[in-house]
Amino acid sequence: MTTVISTRALEKRFGRTVALDGLDLEVGAGEIHGFLGPNGAGKSTTIRILLGLARPTGGEARLFGEDPWRRAAELHRRVAYVPGDVSLWPNLTGGESIDLLARLRGGTADRRAYDARKARLLEVFQLDPRKKGRAYSKGNRQKVALVAALATPAELYILDEPTSGLDPLMEQVFNREIRRASSEGATVLLSSHILSEVEALCDRVSIIRAGRRVESGTLPELRHLTRSSVGFAHRPEQDAELAAIAGVHDLVVDDGRVRFTVDSDRIALVLPELGRLGVQGLTVAPPSLEELFLRHYGDDVSTAREEAHR
Amino acid sequence: MNRLAVLLAHRVRRDRVQLALWIVGTAALALMATTAVADTFGDRAERESILRLTILAPAILVFRGTPNGAGEGEFATFLILAFLALLAGLMSTFLAVRHTRGDEEQGRAELVEATPAGRTLPTAATVVHGVLANAVLGVAVALAFGLSGLPAEGSAVAGAAVAATGVAFFGVGLVAAQVFRTSRGANGFSVAVVLAAYLLRGLGDAMGESSEDGLTRTAAWPSRLSPIGWAQRAEPFAANDLAPLLLSAGVAAALVALVFAFQSARDSGASILPDAQGRAAAGPLLGSSLGLAWRLNAGAVLAWAVGAAVFGVLATTLSPLVDEIGSDAPAIVETLRRIAGETASFEEAFVTTFFTMVGILAAAAGLQAVMRARLEEAHGTAEPVLATPVSREGWLAGYAVVAAIAVVAVVGLAGAGAVLGAASADDPGATAELALRAALAQLPAALVYLGAVLVLLVVAPRLTIPVGWALLALGAFFGVFGELLGIPDWMHELSPFSHVPVPVGGEVDWTGGSWMLAIAAGLVAASVVGMRRRELVTEG
Repeated sequence: MTTVISTRALEKRFGRTVALDGLDLEVGAGEIHGFLGPNGAGKSTTIRILLGLARPTGGEARLFGEDPWRRAAELHRRVAYVPGDVSLWPNLTGGESIDLLARLRGGTADRRAYDARKARLLEVFQLDPRKKGRAYSKGNRQKVALVAALATPAELYILDEPTSGLDPLMEQVFNREIRRASSEGATVLLSSHILSEVEALCDRVSIIRAGRRVESGTLPELRHLTRSSVGFAHRPEQDAELAAIAGVHDLVVDDGRVRFTVDSDRIALVLPELGRLGVQGLTVAPPSLEELFLRHYGDDVSTAREEAHR
Repeated sequence: MNRLAVLLAHRVRRDRVQLALWIVGTAALALMATTAVADTFGDRAERESILRLTILAPAILVFRGTPNGAGEGEFATFLILAFLALLAGLMSTFLAVRHTRGDEEQGRAELVEATPAGRTLPTAATVVHGVLANAVLGVAVALAFGLSGLPAEGSAVAGAAVAATGVAFFGVGLVAAQVFRTSRGANGFSVAVVLAAYLLRGLGDAMGESSEDGLTRTAAWPSRLSPIGWAQRAEPFAANDLAPLLLSAGVAAALVALVFAFQSARDSGASILPDAQGRAAAGPLLGSSLGLAWRLNAGAVLAWAVGAAVFGVLATTLSPLVDEIGSDAPAIVETLRRIAGETASFEEAFVTTFFTMVGILAAAAGLQAVMRARLEEAHGTAEPVLATPVSREGWLAGYAVVAAIAVVAVVGLAGAGAVLGAASADDPGATAELALRAALAQLPAALVYLGAVLVLLVVAPRLTIPVGWALLALGAFFGVFGELLGIPDWMHELSPFSHVPVPVGGEVDWTGGSWMLAIAAGLVAASVVGMRRRELVTEG
């Protein structure tokens, strides 16, 4: 697998504040890579460095094996970008902005293919291209940026919190379009703090906090780090036996149901015990990324916030 | 506290700096005019000769006012009243739009309307705020006149005239805010109405009839359609008649009633005119960073160039009058000569002075195009462009090219206007040639500014806009008026405008010009190279 994005010990300081503090990131070709972290963790700063809009203070960043600061223009032929907070030109219509960006990227050489692609995207995203930039709502500005990015083929899509402001229906459309791009062979870096989005789309995930990577891997790999939750109907005579099962944590009885958590790698050992007890209405939920996330940030959210200010 | 009072206090607080600047600035201008009357036109005979001159050149009246007599107060009114009324109009329309459509567009209005204040009380607070602002402005102008030793009654009438005009245009701004969907649209319409009113009363003055002695003039009908014309008909220091001002107050009251009718009928955030639909696809020009830079600046470049063309026409149409002025007002001749150079002939001095202004306009047009690049960077719209295969230096170069086009267009159209205007001169060929040379001479100085601000944009992006305008203002002031004010030579020499090749006695010394061209080229090149090494600076 060839590497499309790689950063090593990437550092970025703004005066005294440290935005990136030795970030390592690897994204392989064809991957949809989730780039997770709370607001201010350094996601946008990383993306700005990868796009050659900012220069690292230390460490190195490589895009397709090249320096994104020095070779920005050449590299951008292969990249499409959706900013997190989309600003549009107030006096250009959405359609004009889309065409402008597509032409700048050089993706309109095949005029007919481009027009068809654009028309299809405008249709699925239900975007009116005739409105002026200043008249769009936040969600519609986001759609303009998405259509502009997806209307021309790219090898790498860099998406910075691309679904902020989209309604759930449009998120579905977005997921479909990203899978379509991925199936055409593109690599996607998807930054987000919305876990369900990453869970639905991504092959691999990197979690960053305070400018540093704290976790990286496929979703199954990360899941072993946390606990599944188990629930079934409560029968008072079983209480003693339940307490004796190894690996059971946080056992509670609530509203007629037993609930507890189990280390994910021990779940296979617990299930036979439950079978022996003949429990009713059994549910086993895999750990959500939410929990993964809380484990990394839940303990000291306040410090993370402070570091977020730069 | 009463809700209206809360809303009003909030408006006063938001505007405290901006309104203070408008009011103090306008009053300072009034003070400068009255001081100028005392200093430059202290002699009644001189004032009379200038007023009589307007019979020969009524076009001058477009930029002045209706002559109402040769007394100091009347003369100050003639010089400045229409302009003060224009400023009051602009202050008021911006204020009206800012607190109504501006807030609605930004979504702030919703926050307030969702409280028990409701939909109409905020507008009522804006109305009170606007009327109060104009009252304060009127008092400030009256004080400026009064403190210069002019009669109290006339000063009060002048202040009232300015305030009444402001209130009338305030009504226009409020209505525009109801009609247009965006504050940009509402401001554009209101400014157009204010400028049209200024021009109408200018036409009325120019078409009017002079009295026997040439010292007073009755404005023609177009002036009666304009609130600024009504302000002049109050004739401060002469008739001191407040009746015409009632017309302004009446118009304002009617417009405010209309605003409340509109307001109660429409949804919050909606407008009487729907937002126009635009093109679904981009035109052929919008396909490169340069094309975008042009698209974003084209309107402004066009406006500057049209203004410059008018200036050019005036420069040569007014020049045939120079002999008349030359014999009647030696002080003016002396002033012009100092700006243009000691040995200039009178016509040369006159045309060159006009074109120095064109040079400043050209520099301002170029500067605005460069500043657009900074705005793009700060507002986040440069980012998506630079995320495509557009290099940082190529991006900046696009704006540099558009800025250079703006400079050349302004100077070029001013020259073209001058050639048109020269048709009425005694020797059209010679006058046109003189004007074209004077126009060309301004190019290097304007280009130096462009280069300097480009470098500023690369080195200190956050300072581009304030420092850029300050540099131009200082350079224009030192370069044009430096010798008049007796500032040290080295300060005067710092200004590019003091090195403009002046056509004197038919000979032009191009040394300064070529040096400046070289400096400009060097600065532009340095900025483009510097941009390679600079990050994007978005915030602030």
